Amino acid sequence: MKLLKCIVRPNKVDEVKDALTKLSVSGMTVSEVRGHGKQKGHTAIYRGKEYNVSLLPKMEIEVVVPDRLVHDCIKVVMEAARTGEIGDGRVFVMPVEESYKIRTGERETD
Amino acid sequence: MSNPVPGPSTGSGQADGEPHRDAAQSLRTRLAAARDELSAATSRGQAGRDALARYAGAVDDLVAELFTDALGDTPQAVVLALGGYGRRHLCLHSDVDLLVLFGGPLNSAHAGALNELLHPLWDLGLAVGHQVRELDDFARIEADNPEFLLALVDARPIAGDRDLFNRFMTRVQRADLYAHVVAALVALTDERHAPFNATFYQLEPDVKEAPGGLRDLAAVRTIARLTDPALLRQGPSDSARLDEAEDFLLRVRSILHLDARRNQNVLSHPMQERVAALLDYPGALPQARVERLMGDYFRHARGVARWLEWIRRVAPVPVGPNLVKAGDGVRFVDATVAASQPESWLSAFQAAVDAGAAVSDDTLAVIQQHADRFGGHDFLPDPTRQAAWLEFLKPRPGLYARLSQMHDSGLLGRILPEFGAITCRVVRDFYHKYTVDEHTLLAIRTLERLATPMLPGTSTRERERFASLLQDLERPELLVLALLLHDVGKSGDEEHVAESVRLARGVFDRLAMPADAREAVEFLIANHLQMSTVAFRRDTEDPETVRRFAAVVGVEDRLKMLCLLTLADVDAVSLETLTPWKAELLWRLYVDTYNQLTLGYADELIDQSQSEVAQAVGARHADLPAEEISRFLEGLPRRYLQLFDQAAIARHVRLARDIHPDALHVSLEPKGSAWELTVVSLDKPFLFSNISGVLSSFGMDILRGHAMTSPHDLVLDVFQFTDRERFLELNPGARDEFIAVLENVVSGKVDVTVRLRRREQSPVHLRPRRVIPVVHCDNHASQRYTIVEIVADDALGLLYRISRVMSQQGCDVDLVLIATEGHKAIDVFHITQAGAKLSPAAQDALVASLQRLLEEDHEVA
Repeated sequence: MKLLKCIVRPNKVDEVKDALTKLSVSGMTVSEVRGHGKQKGHTAIYRGKEYNVSLLPKMEIEVVVPDRLVHDCIKVVMEAARTGEIGDGRVFVMPVEESYKIRTGERETD
Repeated sequence: MSNPVPGPSTGSGQADGEPHRDAAQSLRTRLAAARDELSAATSRGQAGRDALARYAGAVDDLVAELFTDALGDTPQAVVLALGGYGRRHLCLHSDVDLLVLFGGPLNSAHAGALNELLHPLWDLGLAVGHQVRELDDFARIEADNPEFLLALVDARPIAGDRDLFNRFMTRVQRADLYAHVVAALVALTDERHAPFNATFYQLEPDVKEAPGGLRDLAAVRTIARLTDPALLRQGPSDSARLDEAEDFLLRVRSILHLDARRNQNVLSHPMQERVAALLDYPGALPQARVERLMGDYFRHARGVARWLEWIRRVAPVPVGPNLVKAGDGVRFVDATVAASQPESWLSAFQAAVDAGAAVSDDTLAVIQQHADRFGGHDFLPDPTRQAAWLEFLKPRPGLYARLSQMHDSGLLGRILPEFGAITCRVVRDFYHKYTVDEHTLLAIRTLERLATPMLPGTSTRERERFASLLQDLERPELLVLALLLHDVGKSGDEEHVAESVRLARGVFDRLAMPADAREAVEFLIANHLQMSTVAFRRDTEDPETVRRFAAVVGVEDRLKMLCLLTLADVDAVSLETLTPWKAELLWRLYVDTYNQLTLGYADELIDQSQSEVAQAVGARHADLPAEEISRFLEGLPRRYLQLFDQAAIARHVRLARDIHPDALHVSLEPKGSAWELTVVSLDKPFLFSNISGVLSSFGMDILRGHAMTSPHDLVLDVFQFTDRERFLELNPGARDEFIAVLENVVSGKVDVTVRLRRREQSPVHLRPRRVIPVVHCDNHASQRYTIVEIVADDALGLLYRISRVMSQQGCDVDLVLIATEGHKAIDVFHITQAGAKLSPAAQDALVASLQRLLEEDHEVA
């Protein structure tokens, strides 16, 4: 099992969700986040005054997927979230050691 | 009257005759009989309230009879009793205060008739105090004569036109004057108490003037009457004790008058013995009788003083017609009257917001009980109330709570049945946590909170951003109205936005709203989901997204309103919906769109695709062929079409007709409380600077303006300005003079700098400086222009000086956007130099000169 942490543009969330659902990835966590990568924000100007926009609003989608789906998932996320411009986001992949379902106490396997 | 006729023997000044003398004799006999009766009662120690009222009645009869003889045939005349006589507390030597009132203007016939009324009264030896007034004297009540207003509180008609009397009373007995009258009464009372060292324990008391005396007693009754009559049942003692005290004091006063044969009210030591005897106090020695009398006196005076002190402390404060603010909130003084005046109910809520109080429960109960009897029109029957309704909707502390009360009492749903229909409406979706009506009211609360000043250091930057947008709005109440109506379409099962718009149009008709206000509110309702969709679901980093959204919004004012409406709408969905993350996205879309509207608009030009505008304007104006309109429009920024309606476009096309290089086609028209100057010309050096200079040299405050140039060098400048000195309004030749000066300045015959300097040097035009000036130069926002954005203190001639510097530096000013927000001027210039954007060096030089100019301005002040 792997945890995929996808940081994407806010307007791309629906497309990413749809793409993952098509791969039968069911559970996901979506959060509003702010941060910067290479994009490092920019300077906006309002009424002649500059103000610094260093942290950009992004959405974070977290999904836990079986190892066999990891590559497909990464692919569809990137396809759905890509615009080609700086600021499209990142996908992080992390190993998941164990997973339990709280209601039943079951340990989940791939 | 300055020249009273003294004594009965002088005659009345009328053509004498037997019957007349008989009539006079009869009056004298009747008055003498009445006075004898009162004197006899006084001697028995029984000339209290009843005896005095009987005497007042007898005097009434005399006055009525004389009035009928003298003025009975005069239409619209009435005689009133005022003050103590109005209260029927008429002692033997009290003043008989009369007001003779006429419905129309006074003339010499009236003067003669007045003599016929007043001379016999003087002849009878009565101390008549009289006033003669026309009803129109009371069109505006002078607040500086509180004693007169106070005397009117007890006014009652003796004879004449009752209808006139009623009309008069509605003018003077207005509760909005009551606050004033009560305050004046309190002040007069303190003033009167001062010579008595403010104590009622006087060894030789003045039973009328002293603390605890008759005037204090009248004050207690007046305050109760003007604020809350029920107070008389709640005071520090039974109100029967007040009546008792009054009767006692009047019986004493009657004796003093009888004995002194004049208006004498001091209960001196010698008089105390006589009064004690006449009032039949027991005791072997005079001293014992006096002690008993004075014991009673002090007991009554203490009671009166306590009442007065109590009622001054607890009396509600009048806050409007038939409205007072008491401990439990704002309520009707007379609920029975209010129940049949639905048009007055809104003012209870308005007064409550103003006073920072609630509307009291019993008032809400009255409204709830009677609301169903009336239709929407009954609450807002005329333009004044309709305007008051919009005024009420201004976002400010307390609005949400009062609107909620109004909703709970059923009034809101009666005024706006469209809103009534969403009461407790449940629409199931994944987001909304409250019923549709409460969601709407909570959204208004969000605006209210933005409008509420915060303690220094307690606000966040995020909040301040949106709060500043709200401050910029000229008519924030339209935003609240839009919020009230934005979801009313959810009462049905149709798509709610279109339905809300349809229902809102009915509301606009009922409120008789002007076209521009309707358009603004309708725009907001129709687009209330647009901004959140774009901000949260579209790629706002794509300039095309912003451009498209900017095209929907059109102008900055609407953008600000839509941004705030979106913020409030999202915030009211649930506690968690408006995250700082969402607020940030919204703010960024706002800034990008604002910049697009103010900086990028020069790139969006009118082209063939807008030909339907030309057709539409042409169809309405027979003298304007569509081709001529198209020719005029082509190449102007698209924004032009959003700024001006079809009538204005037609005006501009006409002004642009047959323009030749030296001509200046000018129109100068009043627009609301401001003026609008439209100048069409072919471009020439310093043109913009000269026009703004001329405006300032006439002392005009430029509020907003648009300067546009079309590719064929046609310049259209439109300025809105206020004329604080009312030069244009008050002087018949002023417009021509203004236009002549403008032409002379533009053609170079007159130097506007000289004209301006005269004004600039005047201390009247110095204004405090608050804003640190900002000059920002941008070469990227527009494809064709360098954009200079300037934010500075609004000052006389500012625009002139800025644009002059630009012209001096060889820049062509092609487009200008001028806005004034409070004391801040926000000007955006689109400029070129030799037909291209400015080089970096030229930009630096220009910014440096502008900075220098603005800093000098700043320091001079």
